[in-house]
Amino acid sequence: MKKLLFAAVCAAGLFACKPERLVTPSEPIKGLSGSWAIIRATRNGTDITSRFDFSHFRINFADSSYTIDSLVPFIVSRNGKWSFDDPLYPFNINFRATDSAVKASPLLFPVVGGKRNVIITFSPGCDLNSYQYTLQKAN
Amino acid sequence: MKYKNLAWKILGGLLLLIIVSCSMTIDSIVLPSSINGGDNLPVTLNVKITADQAQTSNFMVAILVPKVWKARQNATMSFVSDVTTGPQQMTVIPAGQAAPQGGGLDWPTLLLNKVGNGGNLIPDYEWVAFYSNTSYSLAGGAPFGVTVSINIKTSPDNLSFKLGYCVANSSDGLSSPDRYGSKFSDCFEVHGTGDLIDFCNPQLSSIDPRTSLENDIVTVTFDGGVDSTQLTNASQVNMCMTGVLTTGDSVTVCTQTDATKMIPLGLNKWQKDFWPRKFFNLADNQHLSGLRYYFTDANGDHKVGYGGGGDPFTYTFKCQ
Repeated sequence: MKKLLFAAVCAAGLFACKPERLVTPSEPIKGLSGSWAIIRATRNGTDITSRFDFSHFRINFADSSYTIDSLVPFIVSRNGKWSFDDPLYPFNINFRATDSAVKASPLLFPVVGGKRNVIITFSPGCDLNSYQYTLQKAN
Repeated sequence: MKYKNLAWKILGGLLLLIIVSCSMTIDSIVLPSSINGGDNLPVTLNVKITADQAQTSNFMVAILVPKVWKARQNATMSFVSDVTTGPQQMTVIPAGQAAPQGGGLDWPTLLLNKVGNGGNLIPDYEWVAFYSNTSYSLAGGAPFGVTVSINIKTSPDNLSFKLGYCVANSSDGLSSPDRYGSKFSDCFEVHGTGDLIDFCNPQLSSIDPRTSLENDIVTVTFDGGVDSTQLTNASQVNMCMTGVLTTGDSVTVCTQTDATKMIPLGLNKWQKDFWPRKFFNLADNQHLSGLRYYFTDANGDHKVGYGGGGDPFTYTFKCQ
């Protein structure tokens, strides 16, 4: 009886062993799909969020196109196409408004308070004047 | 024991006296009373240096100038002295290079923190620092004179500015006020073209950024505390704005609405941020070359322009 039990335990142990398949963690694709609002804006380092009405601005990203509602000074002024410089590790976002040349902005993609933020930097007027907008998914 | 302590105190006091008597002063500044925009501005500094300690250092001279002059590229500097032979050349110190005993700050930042801005009211200035190309070994001794020659190619802009100067060395930096000398000039005028950029006097109205285009967000400020006007103690101030188009035509927005209503900052100061393209509802093919504007009360009964008078304030859209 003991021998039988020992053999059963050994067999169970043998069949319980499985090769462990290690999966290399992969960098998630950064997605922008959806509607984004401006939650913070600076001009030449000065916070102007509460001084100018950004509340109605929305940029709506689809797979490769975007549309803008209630335009404010922005890197582009018309709807068009967008792309990352690298889908896995994007450092820049490119906008190509209809009938216009590509405009690129440095991109930051931090998670703040559990929410994904997108920070872009550009100059809509004089090159010396630098604007930084922080975008967050609109509710 | 008592006399030994006293001797140490006297010795310490004498040592302190020697250290603090190490000085560098700007005795006088020679420059024209005014120049025309685009001309070269020659400045001579007469400096006295007293080196009570043997030291090997580079000589440092810095100037506070309007950014628009781009003095890094457009200024040259040299000096002659009682202890050197012939003109000694100087080279601009790259921005970002740490200043001695400056806690990691570079010269322009350290100069702004320690020496200041000379009372210039528009934050569009910069310190530009130069080192002598050669370092000099100075033994302690009698004071000697240094004559610094500065030449700055100015921009065509019409401006008034309080120029600043500072002399120091590459060992002591700005570690204590006795180790460097500084001076600011009275308001210096450059008769150039365009709107006057007045760094010297408080302005009834100013626009930020100083250089911008119609697609920037522009901040207009009305400072009623600068002078007594018809809007002194007004409960509401509105902008009365005319955009001058590149075609020569103009478009005016001069109604007392939320779009023109300014935000009170207190002490008779008012501010409004606006986007000129939207404010004037410009078509795609319309572009602005400048602004002419006034300030009004809530009813539009009182209108205040440049200097508190009847002429409008003006602003030119440009990037340099």
